[in-house]
Amino acid sequence: MMPNPLRLNAVAFISPQNHPILIRTFSKQDELKYHYIAHTSLDVIEERANSSTKSTECYLGLLYAIEDVAVYGYMTPLKVKIVLALGLSDTVVRDVEIATVFKALHMAFYSSISNPFLKLDAPNAGNDQYPFLLVGGVKWKNFRRRVDEISRVVGTVTPVSNT
Amino acid sequence: MNSYPPELLTQLAPVMFVAGLDPPPAFPGTPQSPPATPTSQQQQDPFTLLTLRLRESFLSQRKPSIWAAEKSKTFQIIPVDKAVRFPPRKLQPPADDPTNSAAHSPLSPLTPSSPLFPDGLIAPIWIRKHTNLVPSVFVLFLRLFELPPHMPRSPLDPPDVEREKEREQEERRRDTELSAEVAQRKKSTSERGIKLTVVLTASRRMLDDPSLDARLTYIRRQSGLDSRAALFVLSPVSVAELNDFVRSLQDALYESAVDYYTTHSKRVRRKRNRHSQASVSYNPANPNAIRLRPEGWTVRYEYKMACFAEFRGEVEVALKHYQDAYATLVIMFGSTAILPPRTKRWAEAKVLADSINVKVCKLYLYNNEHGLALSYHTTHMRKFSDFSRGWGIGEETFEFWSWMARQHRILAELLEQGTRSTLKIPSHRPPPAALATANITTPISGAQAQRGVFELDSMQSLGLNPSHALQHPGFYYYMAARCTEKRRERFLLLIEADGSTLAPGYVNEKKVDHLTIILELYTKSYELFKKYSPINSQNLNQGRLTLWIAYRIAQTYYDSGKFDMAVRFFERIAKTYRREKWGSMLRPLLSTWYACAQQLGAVELSVKLLIEMLGHGTMDNNETYGAEDLVKLLKSTSPSTDAPLIVDLSESEPIFDSMVVFWSPEVKVGEAAAFQLSLTAPSNVDISCLPITSLAIHFTEDFAPLIVRHVDSNSVPEALTRRVDLGHVSTADHKKEDVQTDLRWKPGSKFVFTGTMSSDVPMVMNVSKVVLTLEEHSWNIEVPFDSFTLRAGSIPIVKWLCSLDPVQYFPIAREIYSTVNVRHRPHQLLVSLSHHAPAFLDEEYPIVMDITNADDRDVAVVVDVLLQPTDIDHAVNHIVFDDERSSGLIKGVSFGVVPPGVNVLKTLYLVNTGAAGDRILDISIQSRTMPKSSSSGPASVSRDSQSYPSDTSETLQTLTVPTVTPITISYDVGYRRALAERPGPADLALYDSEFWDDREGGEALVSARMETMGPYSLDVKSAKLIRHDDKYARVLDSAIDHDDDASFPAEYLPGDEFSDICRISLAPDEEYDYASESIPGPGEYEITWRRILPNGEHFALSTSHFPLPSLRPPSDGLIALMSVPPAATLHVPISMSLKIRNLHPSRSANVTVQLEPDLSDAFVVSGLRSGRVPILLPGGEEELIWRLIPVECGYAKVPKIKVMDRRTMSTGEIESEGEVVKVVDVRWDRRAARDDVTDARRSIESLSGGGGPAAGVTTILVLP
Repeated sequence: MMPNPLRLNAVAFISPQNHPILIRTFSKQDELKYHYIAHTSLDVIEERANSSTKSTECYLGLLYAIEDVAVYGYMTPLKVKIVLALGLSDTVVRDVEIATVFKALHMAFYSSISNPFLKLDAPNAGNDQYPFLLVGGVKWKNFRRRVDEISRVVGTVTPVSNT
Repeated sequence: MNSYPPELLTQLAPVMFVAGLDPPPAFPGTPQSPPATPTSQQQQDPFTLLTLRLRESFLSQRKPSIWAAEKSKTFQIIPVDKAVRFPPRKLQPPADDPTNSAAHSPLSPLTPSSPLFPDGLIAPIWIRKHTNLVPSVFVLFLRLFELPPHMPRSPLDPPDVEREKEREQEERRRDTELSAEVAQRKKSTSERGIKLTVVLTASRRMLDDPSLDARLTYIRRQSGLDSRAALFVLSPVSVAELNDFVRSLQDALYESAVDYYTTHSKRVRRKRNRHSQASVSYNPANPNAIRLRPEGWTVRYEYKMACFAEFRGEVEVALKHYQDAYATLVIMFGSTAILPPRTKRWAEAKVLADSINVKVCKLYLYNNEHGLALSYHTTHMRKFSDFSRGWGIGEETFEFWSWMARQHRILAELLEQGTRSTLKIPSHRPPPAALATANITTPISGAQAQRGVFELDSMQSLGLNPSHALQHPGFYYYMAARCTEKRRERFLLLIEADGSTLAPGYVNEKKVDHLTIILELYTKSYELFKKYSPINSQNLNQGRLTLWIAYRIAQTYYDSGKFDMAVRFFERIAKTYRREKWGSMLRPLLSTWYACAQQLGAVELSVKLLIEMLGHGTMDNNETYGAEDLVKLLKSTSPSTDAPLIVDLSESEPIFDSMVVFWSPEVKVGEAAAFQLSLTAPSNVDISCLPITSLAIHFTEDFAPLIVRHVDSNSVPEALTRRVDLGHVSTADHKKEDVQTDLRWKPGSKFVFTGTMSSDVPMVMNVSKVVLTLEEHSWNIEVPFDSFTLRAGSIPIVKWLCSLDPVQYFPIAREIYSTVNVRHRPHQLLVSLSHHAPAFLDEEYPIVMDITNADDRDVAVVVDVLLQPTDIDHAVNHIVFDDERSSGLIKGVSFGVVPPGVNVLKTLYLVNTGAAGDRILDISIQSRTMPKSSSSGPASVSRDSQSYPSDTSETLQTLTVPTVTPITISYDVGYRRALAERPGPADLALYDSEFWDDREGGEALVSARMETMGPYSLDVKSAKLIRHDDKYARVLDSAIDHDDDASFPAEYLPGDEFSDICRISLAPDEEYDYASESIPGPGEYEITWRRILPNGEHFALSTSHFPLPSLRPPSDGLIALMSVPPAATLHVPISMSLKIRNLHPSRSANVTVQLEPDLSDAFVVSGLRSGRVPILLPGGEEELIWRLIPVECGYAKVPKIKVMDRRTMSTGEIESEGEVVKVVDVRWDRRAARDDVTDARRSIESLSGGGGPAAGVTTILVLP
């Protein structure tokens, strides 16, 4: 049985202060919808993050499914939230695969935020949030490129083959 | 749920008819009235009450509902009339129909009068028949006849045989009647296999009647009742007991009910089997006649079997049959030949399919199989969506979306009902373990594939089909609402296209108020989202999910023209969206809000929203509004009030990126601090046409706001960055002239307002806010915003504009750049401390403090001095300052107000005693500027000092004063034995209290050596021995007393010494312990001196005291004291005496004395040569005297005298003559203190007795 390739509709990165860092939609239409989805996911993410006993697990699983998308959540140890909107198809979505995608996205974010030149733009911003918000900005293309690449790879290849 | 026949949806339960519980006919209206208010007559008759209570109890057993997952053996109980009739079972077919020989039910499609004739599948009426008209159990309540009890007049009366017989006959007759009635009913029920149970009500007395059993047996026989669970007797009992009865009755009859439905199932199954075998031959008999096709029959039978299984409570069986029925139904839908679309049967079948789907979902949910339930539901929707396309009611039609909405809604309703009782919505959080195991199992998935079942399980645990994840019903309501929105869209499109008449269902659709439905669905969804929103979230007021739904509701209100409602929602939602800076969502919200405001004619709100939207910039679509719209609006309208409209943008996205930078972090009072306020217009919004008339820059409180006014300039500067000089702002001038400049921002352009500000008082200066004023027409709008705001995506780059052409910035790398601290200028005070270290002990050591005011202000100076405690032994120090004396702190020594250029001197004296070492002084000089008294009166001075902290400063100095002793003294002490004649024991003077008994103590010779240590010379004024004679010691004489050579006063240079010898007579009393005690020195040297500075100055006189050392005279035992004159004349006889003293406190002494003359002796001796002294008691003394005639000149040795204390030495083998007693020449008698071993060596006596060549040698100088 070959699982269908996952169809990423949108990826959202949200700062620890719940401000959007980057919301990338891969379906041309209804971009705004994914902004709403990213925003509302915060409710469920907060609930999961708060309710659970101190878990080091970043992957929060399926947050909810609505209309034609299934929304998955992930929270990095530094409370950056990543929200994934998958096109809803009638197949089992394996948590391992989603968690892998999330890890890739997390790494993409991490390597983008590690760019030392980001600091140039905000040399004396004591607030740690600024580099977060910056990295999603138009000026810094690398992050978008990384996210797009992940989406492309996820959409074409099955990350974990299954006999 | 209302869109489907309730019969098709309700949970089926076995049906029980209860007859004979009709309320008594006298009270026709009472059945509905609760039994709590029975009339008095009812209370009298226990049976009426019993009937009422029974009825109540039965009716409360079960309410028909859709969700009833609990598996209790309850019946659906329907009270009926005793004479109820069942619907006819079978109708004889019309004789002319050759194909149908068998009789059919009136509901069968084969019966022409049936609503299903000729090809219907199943009708709700069929279920209603089984739920309302035909029971599985019939319970008949009847009253057992009882004669009124006969009371014999007396127990002695013989039984009235006649009466007994009569009674028996009467009973028999009544019982027979009753049996007949039961038999009648029994006949009708057994025809249909319905279990009949009779409950006879009888009085409690009757239960004990011995004849009851016989009567019951008779009735059962007569009426043909079953032997089991068919006949009960009930007497009037309490409500609780009645409920128990009803409960147990149901338990007893449940099996019969199950049997009943099983029989039905079996019958239907037989028919289905027969039918499926016969179907081939049976079909083409009359090809033209419309008949139910075999698939239809299958559906019908499966559905019936499912229903009967459901009646029995067999969920799994029911599920299977429902699914079979559904599957066959899908096959039928698959062919338009079987079910032509848009026919009556097609519509019925669709309803049936939908309701079967609901049933299947529900039954799955009963078992908590959420995934299967949702999967079934989604499959249903998908399949029928596919069918719909074929039927021409695809996604482009409102019918399709109406149907979809209905599906979502019914699921939502089902879940809502379920959650009210047993259903729990699962959490989809992945268990952490699942992920862990998933990683492990992935490599071995090949091995797992062989174990197919396990594979499925592991798939379940590895992941989740998101469309099968059960969520709370709010989501499904939301979906229904979304579908209804789409339905409305399609409908509106249809109206636009004006192809109205063609579309089927158009007329009906026109009557539908879509928006109300949408609103209802959204509202339900909203409530559920609210209910399920996490409680422990920080966002206590409202969740984001609910806000989202609220936004949809607001949109719907907007669509339905209820703008005021919409506005209320928008206000609330915008608050959160603003706070969380989700501009992308705020933008469309604001546009719709603005549209509402326009519709409502609320111009102020419109203006506010337009201004807020300016901050958000444009979106891709052209729905947004820009500055032109605002200008247009302002021109065309006028405000409702004259007061300026304040649009506070502090919460929402600002129009400008604004930032304030101060050049330096700190300035002094009165010094100008340069600042730059930069306002950058957004690059994606053109705000150049905004009618900005002025810009007010507000500073920290004490500053008056600075107004920058707009003047139209003819030549619009091209530069993107412009600098506006604001000049200097200070607290002093309150009437600062307005600055005039051209206040028109081009997209992306930046104004840098530069200026300086200064303050006369210390404070923190900043730019608090900026207020933009727009004036147009009669509008006056103020837009205040913070001096530091950033638009989304902007970065705070702190830099200082240093050049305009080219534009150059200087980065300011400071943590705090937007405020500046104003501090006082430090006071220019010069403080010097002069003194001549080191200080001497016992000296008033002057430290001169010189404070010079080098400032240009009057300064009041106050000094505190703290002498730090030292850890030096015996150090008692104090300071004297300004007539104050303290061993610690002297506080608040005022130097007064020091005018500029004046210096004030004060001397601090430090007096040290004890030991040498460092003394530490902490000196704090506090200064405070005095306000200029000439410019302001005393009243204003006090006001000033209260209004802000006075300008004080403090400098601290630590002074370490090394202290040395000016003079060191060292003592040398020797002890001499008393030589005076001892008074005899009877001498009365001994007993005089004044008697000075120095026999034991003898004399101490103290030689003191004093040395001046420097580094300064001393002028020693005097030195004397002050005597403190006491009863143990007294100073006999001192060399210093006899000093007449005027050695004082004299100047002593460092290293100079002088010394003194004094004699002290000691008289320790008898208890004096020589081992441990010491006698304090009976006096002290007092030396008065002063320091001579190198420049010849003298300090004040100081006095040092050096006490005499404490004296520790040695103790003696047996001792021989020899006294000879120091000199003799040749041939003149001299006498030599030897005093032998026994000073031992307890032992007597037996002493022998032997003179050992030598040939070389220079003396001729007369006296005892060898002899024994009488025994000396303790304290005793004996004197021996010799006469010596010197015969030689020079130093002549006196003859050797050997004194022995004759004591037997037990240790030696040879009996010795005894111990040698030391012979001491009193001239040289000088012993050290007893414990001072090292000093003892130096004493003469020790030398003589130390075994040296001169030991024991006493010489006399013999002169010719």
